[in-house]
Amino acid sequence: MIWKTAWKNVWRNPVRSTVVISSITVGVFAGVFSVAMMEGMVNQRMRSAIDEEISYIQVSAKGFRTDYDPALIINNSGKIESAIKNTPGVTGLCERIVLSGMANTARKSTGVQIVGINPDQEKEVFSLFRKIMPGTGTYFEKETQLNQVLIGQDLAKDLNIIQYSIDSAKLSELKVNGIPGNITDRLSVLTGKRFGSEKLFVKKLKSMFSASEAARYGQLIKDKAWTFREGSRLTLTFLDKDNNQVGAAVRVTGLYDIYNNIYEKNVVFVKNDDLRKLSGIPNNSFHQLIVKINSIDNTDVISSGLKIKLPDLEVLSWKEIQPDLALLSEMTQIYYAIFMLIILAALAFGIVNTMLMVVLERTKELGMLTAIGMNKKKVFTMIMLESVFMSVIGGIIGILISMLVISLTAKNGINFSQYSEGFEALGYSAHIYPEIAPLFFAEVVVLIIFTGILSSIYPARKALKLDPAEAIRTE
Amino acid sequence: MKVLELINVNKIYDGSEVHIQAVNNVTLDFQEAEFAAIVGPSGSGKTTLLNLIGGLDKPTSGEIIIDGTNLATLKSSDLIDFRMRNIGFVFQAYNLIPVLTAKENVEFIMSLQNWTRQKRDERTFELLKAVGLFDRMNSRPSKLSGGQQQRIAVARALASRPKFVLADEPTANLDSKSAATLLEIMEKLNHEEKITFIFSTHDARVVKMAHRVITLEDGKVVSDDLRK
Repeated sequence: MIWKTAWKNVWRNPVRSTVVISSITVGVFAGVFSVAMMEGMVNQRMRSAIDEEISYIQVSAKGFRTDYDPALIINNSGKIESAIKNTPGVTGLCERIVLSGMANTARKSTGVQIVGINPDQEKEVFSLFRKIMPGTGTYFEKETQLNQVLIGQDLAKDLNIIQYSIDSAKLSELKVNGIPGNITDRLSVLTGKRFGSEKLFVKKLKSMFSASEAARYGQLIKDKAWTFREGSRLTLTFLDKDNNQVGAAVRVTGLYDIYNNIYEKNVVFVKNDDLRKLSGIPNNSFHQLIVKINSIDNTDVISSGLKIKLPDLEVLSWKEIQPDLALLSEMTQIYYAIFMLIILAALAFGIVNTMLMVVLERTKELGMLTAIGMNKKKVFTMIMLESVFMSVIGGIIGILISMLVISLTAKNGINFSQYSEGFEALGYSAHIYPEIAPLFFAEVVVLIIFTGILSSIYPARKALKLDPAEAIRTE
Repeated sequence: MKVLELINVNKIYDGSEVHIQAVNNVTLDFQEAEFAAIVGPSGSGKTTLLNLIGGLDKPTSGEIIIDGTNLATLKSSDLIDFRMRNIGFVFQAYNLIPVLTAKENVEFIMSLQNWTRQKRDERTFELLKAVGLFDRMNSRPSKLSGGQQQRIAVARALASRPKFVLADEPTANLDSKSAATLLEIMEKLNHEEKITFIFSTHDARVVKMAHRVITLEDGKVVSDDLRK
């Protein structure tokens, strides 16, 4: 009967209860959806870092990672590789030669890390081969006379390998994509002109269009004006194993595009055999062995096992290579909990206020209930249940709306492409796919119930302090 | 059989500026199945005396013994429980729970006492029939007249078969016809259920029907007439 009475009491003033429930719904939705967005971003960053950049575990000669001295190599790697491959949980291995050097074109030069790889092995460990930009080439799939290099899109921009130009075909495509005729007409004056950098092209667009036009159509025009000539050439210079400067002309086999601008600007890939010939690194010797494992949850166990197996080498897990990622992965759950607690704390004040009004309005009735024998525990329970009912209804509706919106947006994601430079400068994708662990919903429900109980304590204490004889006389 | 005994009961409100003796050395006892009215002018101490008997207020001195239990010996939490099991209340303003139906209001105390659903239903239907509102059992108080609400309040007070029912001016808000109906029902239930009724009143019709009339003046019992 207490539960039934409390439930009916919630609907005694339907407008007020609906307002409170709605505020809880909005608060919970805002909290859960924000967490789903953050979780989506963090998971994308984690997956991207591990699948495309560092993998789970790296093995190198001691001290190599400090200054990338080319002489610090793993010699006769066969036995070591066998030991790694025989470790339970290891699902892939690839060998890398890593040299610091410069990438040069006639116009620009920039410092890069030149990574020698075996493309077939790499496919077992990394998914970078799936990140080749359409129309820019392949992942070392074509045979050429010159050595081949795979570079990032942003490095190509920095080296002015990517150019920007407009022609009649591109203008037609822009029209098909919804760019108004007056814009394409004005753009047609650029036909035949080439811009060596994105910066120059954007500057020109800004001089031709208003700020609102540039903001609305600029990205699409930029994407269409983008031009890359497959097989562009550049020169790589670096120190060989004996510290002699070596240079080689290479042909760009393709451009990769990931969510990390810094990585794109700094890491280029060539075939191991090509780099070995140029650098003098002996056969069966490498700078790094990259290890893929079956689950991220097994990282600590497997890396500890390898550290014991390979005491003369440096074995580092992804957490040690990128402590910021480890921190991100460990802190996010705490951060989400704090975030939800702040939202629920704000909502709790609204519930407390409502429940205080409830107690004030029902002074006479509460006095009567105590008079006829409803003990303090039951009065407290009734008021607490009213608060919990409102919290849970609002919370459940908020969670259901969140689930619906997350499922609707998870498929195609939410595109923040206008902020892509900012996102990718931090290693995040500007296309966010909200996602959330089912357990989080359970945690939120517990927090909501907890909020309802906490919010009822002060009003319920007020009710318990009522003197029944006095309360009954209240008008 | 004696169900209630008051021995030298005093109630003094002692503030910084006022000193009021609301109940002055009252000694009374009530037997099973009495139908007693406490009368007196406004401010004579009727409501205070009922509050003391009902354990809603504590006497400054003296003893109130209900069915052998001295109320002064009970802790606050035990007193609430004691009220639930031994005393029924009927208030001047009905004081039903507005969100519950007539039936739910009647069975509320039985539910607090963890009666089974079957026993609750049997007793509730019995009382609703007795007060003539069986067909209105699913109506909320707002859909009932004042007289009907007070009849439901009487049914609620009797629901768990208390030792006695305290009614503070039960007819004060009722028209004469509703008041007469209520009094007839109360008297009938008093007779059938053998439950003591003690009510404070100004109403001459109530006084006329009472079997015993206790008159208070300035907190003192000035007369105690047993009529039947």
